[in-house]
Amino acid sequence: MGGEPLARVGGEPLAPVGGEPLAPVGGEPLAPVGGEPLAGAAPGQAARELAERVLAGHAASAARLIRMVEDGRPEAREALRELYPKIGRAHVVGVTGPPGAGKSTLVSALIAELRRRGRRIGVLAVDPSSPFSGGAILGDRVRMQRHSTDPGVFIRSMATRGASGGLARASWEAELVLDAMGCDVVLVETVGVGQVEIDVVDLAHSTVVVCLPGAGDDVQAIKAGLLEAADLLVLNKADLPGADDAERWLHVLLHSAKAPAPDAWDLPLLRTVASREEGIPPLVDALERHRAYLERSGELARIEARRARRPFVERVRERLVARALEGLEGPEALRLLAEVERRSLDPYTAADRWVEARLAGGGGP
Amino acid sequence: MSQPGDPRDPEALRKGLEEWERQTLAPALEREGERLPAFETQALHWPVERLYTPLDLEAAGFDYLKDVGFPGQFPYTRGTRPNGYRSQLWAMKQVTGFGTPEEWAKRAQYMLDQGLSGFFIEYDLPTTNGFDSDHPLAAGEVGRAGVAVDTLADMEAALDFDFSKLRHLTSVCNGPQPVNLAMIIAALEKKGVDPASFTLQMPNAILIEYTCVGRYIFPPEHGLRISTDVIEYTIRNHPNWVPISVISAQLYAARANPVQELAFGFSIAMQYLDAVLARGFTIDEVAPYFSFVTGVDMDFFEAVGKLRAYRKVWARLMKDRYGAKTREALELRITASPGTMSLTLQQPLNNITRLAIQMLACALGGGGYTMTTPLHDEAHALPSDEAIAVGAGVQKIVAHESGVADTIDPLAGSYYVEVMTKRIEDAVFAEIEKIDRMGGALAAIRTGYFQRELAREQCERNRALDTGKRKLVGVNDVERRSDEESLEIFRVDPESERRQIERLRAVKARRDEAKVAEALERVREAAEGDENLVPPILEAVKLYASQGEICDVLREAFGTYMPDSLTTGV
Amino acid sequence: MNAAAVSERPIRVLLAKLGLDAHTIGVTVIARALRDAGMEVIYSGLKQTPEMVAATAIQEDVDVVGLSSLSAAHMQHFPRVVELLREQGADDKLVIAGGVIPAEDAQRLRDAGVAAIFTMGTSTDEIVAFLRQWAASR
Repeated sequence: MGGEPLARVGGEPLAPVGGEPLAPVGGEPLAPVGGEPLAGAAPGQAARELAERVLAGHAASAARLIRMVEDGRPEAREALRELYPKIGRAHVVGVTGPPGAGKSTLVSALIAELRRRGRRIGVLAVDPSSPFSGGAILGDRVRMQRHSTDPGVFIRSMATRGASGGLARASWEAELVLDAMGCDVVLVETVGVGQVEIDVVDLAHSTVVVCLPGAGDDVQAIKAGLLEAADLLVLNKADLPGADDAERWLHVLLHSAKAPAPDAWDLPLLRTVASREEGIPPLVDALERHRAYLERSGELARIEARRARRPFVERVRERLVARALEGLEGPEALRLLAEVERRSLDPYTAADRWVEARLAGGGGP
Repeated sequence: MSQPGDPRDPEALRKGLEEWERQTLAPALEREGERLPAFETQALHWPVERLYTPLDLEAAGFDYLKDVGFPGQFPYTRGTRPNGYRSQLWAMKQVTGFGTPEEWAKRAQYMLDQGLSGFFIEYDLPTTNGFDSDHPLAAGEVGRAGVAVDTLADMEAALDFDFSKLRHLTSVCNGPQPVNLAMIIAALEKKGVDPASFTLQMPNAILIEYTCVGRYIFPPEHGLRISTDVIEYTIRNHPNWVPISVISAQLYAARANPVQELAFGFSIAMQYLDAVLARGFTIDEVAPYFSFVTGVDMDFFEAVGKLRAYRKVWARLMKDRYGAKTREALELRITASPGTMSLTLQQPLNNITRLAIQMLACALGGGGYTMTTPLHDEAHALPSDEAIAVGAGVQKIVAHESGVADTIDPLAGSYYVEVMTKRIEDAVFAEIEKIDRMGGALAAIRTGYFQRELAREQCERNRALDTGKRKLVGVNDVERRSDEESLEIFRVDPESERRQIERLRAVKARRDEAKVAEALERVREAAEGDENLVPPILEAVKLYASQGEICDVLREAFGTYMPDSLTTGV
Repeated sequence: MNAAAVSERPIRVLLAKLGLDAHTIGVTVIARALRDAGMEVIYSGLKQTPEMVAATAIQEDVDVVGLSSLSAAHMQHFPRVVELLREQGADDKLVIAGGVIPAEDAQRLRDAGVAAIFTMGTSTDEIVAFLRQWAASR
């Protein structure tokens, strides 16, 4: 990388709230993160050095590694492999909600409060890539820029690059990198516009859904799925007219679901005015309470299982799909397709035959 | 009995037109073709027909009495003055303001001596952003884009000229407007000038800053409250001053087309109107205080149509929507000027020609009781003495040598002009309705609607210039060459920045700190409550509190505004 | 073939406005043009200091840092950005500038390490082509 490493993110290590850092689920080192062996000896040395600098909190190295993952560079896997056993300290907080709710301002206020409490913060701000050009304008940082020179804060803007669900595919690895570099809390901000755009729920330990007062039924913009995803519900811009109505309405929505079990998490509804940093300390308190609840109740283990499973399943899917789609332009596939076109074979049977043939070892990378 | 071609007989006209197209036009087209594949207006991209006839008026449902009427009568299409410019010409104003307050005062005196009866005073970026000259972000900017005014001492120095010849002064300061107002009041008091002896005009229209200019400080709701405080205070204490000026010219400068400019501008105006009315005024009391500033672009007929539609839309909004009854409420007060958007850095003398054409459009469209000319070297430089003289000359030549001011609204009845006027008017009302459905201007700003629309226009215009679809003589009609050579920018003498900071320190050293602290505390209380901010700010200003200090107090109370990815407009 | 290695490697560009200049038409037009050319544009807002710009450029691991000024801020701030990037080992990033920049300042900026100056009126196609060519030649 060259040059002096930046000061370690946040300075001295501080004990995270709740005592011991979270141990990786299972204890045992997991199988190395994906990737068939690379053809030609990739410089494992370089990857190891990169990983070491990330673990030492070097911001430029962490940034570079995230970039490499995003760009799909195979060397990134090597470095991630080194990091994976070392992660598990970060409390991942998803922040989602409709556009205009003030998520970025809220994130900025959260950063300020968390910094006051001595935490090191990582932020992933995700925005959609243009489906036409593949490019993106990423402007979430604008509201967080007062933190940009704080060595205890690392903010990274990500474009979805074609992934659906509200996150970038590389968001998972990016979170891993931020965890490895020493972040106590990783805030992941995405736009949640419905029931399909809530992948952040799978990534996060705690999901904060942010909404704002509207003209009565604007609060219905909080689609049912989004509300169910929430561990904490924030009514931001609570100084606007209609805030009281919105709060009442949200209470109705929350309590119309069946009553929670006695020691289940009691979903709080908090009012904030993020632009004036009002209502933020209670929100951070609630986040800490949620984390304690997760540990106490065993939910955490279930979440970590889910978080471990997801990239595994994605990677499996990716590789299998890639393998299955190989040769789709070749003579075998075309013959099958011709039969389907002639209607001498139905497409479903054709597909089954094709996949079975591929999986049985027809060709490979 | 009607003759062929008689406008009272549309059938005959249609036949006449068809014959002309067949027999006269077609052969000419055959021989010569047309120089463009399509003709469009510059900003609205509306198709420009080759010929407009009474048939077009008929198709538009044109009714002279309803749509045009008479000067000084609703809907004011032909002007708000019954006698047009035959009794009095428009007042000729110019923009100026740079450097130290003393330099500005000298420049003001020079302009008064040149025969100008009014001018704008602009402030530097630190001042309009609510920072003192010694703030870290102020470095390199002190006194550059306008005058630096940190404390009352600076305002006293800036207003050190002979007020007896002054009729209008426009003080362009949006974010910290109450501070600016307070300083002017206090300085006039010290000078012994009767505030009623001239008209102070303050834009005070902060909502436009959130939309496109960027010199905002506090979140929009608080910006609105501050503006409303200034309006209310001024109406009650200085009733001959004009406390609000919706500078739709800034929307124009951000590439708004005439329909957007009027619709966004009027929606913003109505946001203020509603806020002021809620303080216990009637529409007839308040509407007369609202004034507008617009700029025109090179498309001559869009310009004329826009100015005529401007008057009509205001009149109809006041009458139909607000129930205004008096002439003063229904009549639009506007200052029009040639716009700066089409001035070029390359071949700057071309700009004088552009100014003349635009000035002509202003005079023919009826640009109001006062008009200004930006100066031909104004693209990012502040005006030289010569430029000021040329600018004044453009106005005087149009006024005295061209004859256009000698008859009222002479373009009325032109088929094209009336079609254009009506079409703009209808489109503006449709857009206002759209903004209404969003919840009004404040809602449109919060959701980023204005910002997105402007961003789209900006990109389209840029594309049009890049591809040469839109011509800019001297720029894209010739081989593009580097314009580094011809660029001159105005640089402040770093000494003068240092001296300004020194002066600020000296003022702070002389004042009673304890009293200042108390006064600032009063400002904070007022900000957190809902009393009018101007009186406590006036007290603080008289004690030589700086505008940065006062704005910091307000920042603590209101928060600082930062756009998000929706509202940033990028 | 490793599907994960599919190269969507968009060029990442930081657009920054330093100082108090609030003109955003230039950055608006350029941001959209770069996005339409498939690049990822990080816009960090108004009132940035050189320190903020350098820290942002590093955290975002951008390829290009674009500095915009239509006031006189450029000589005040732009060389400092280049300096900070150098100090922090990030001088592999391309620094370009745009806005209203007179000839003698442009030369001084180039001497200070600003790779290219795009004054107002440069077509966005030109800027896109320049950046693509630079990225390809790395």
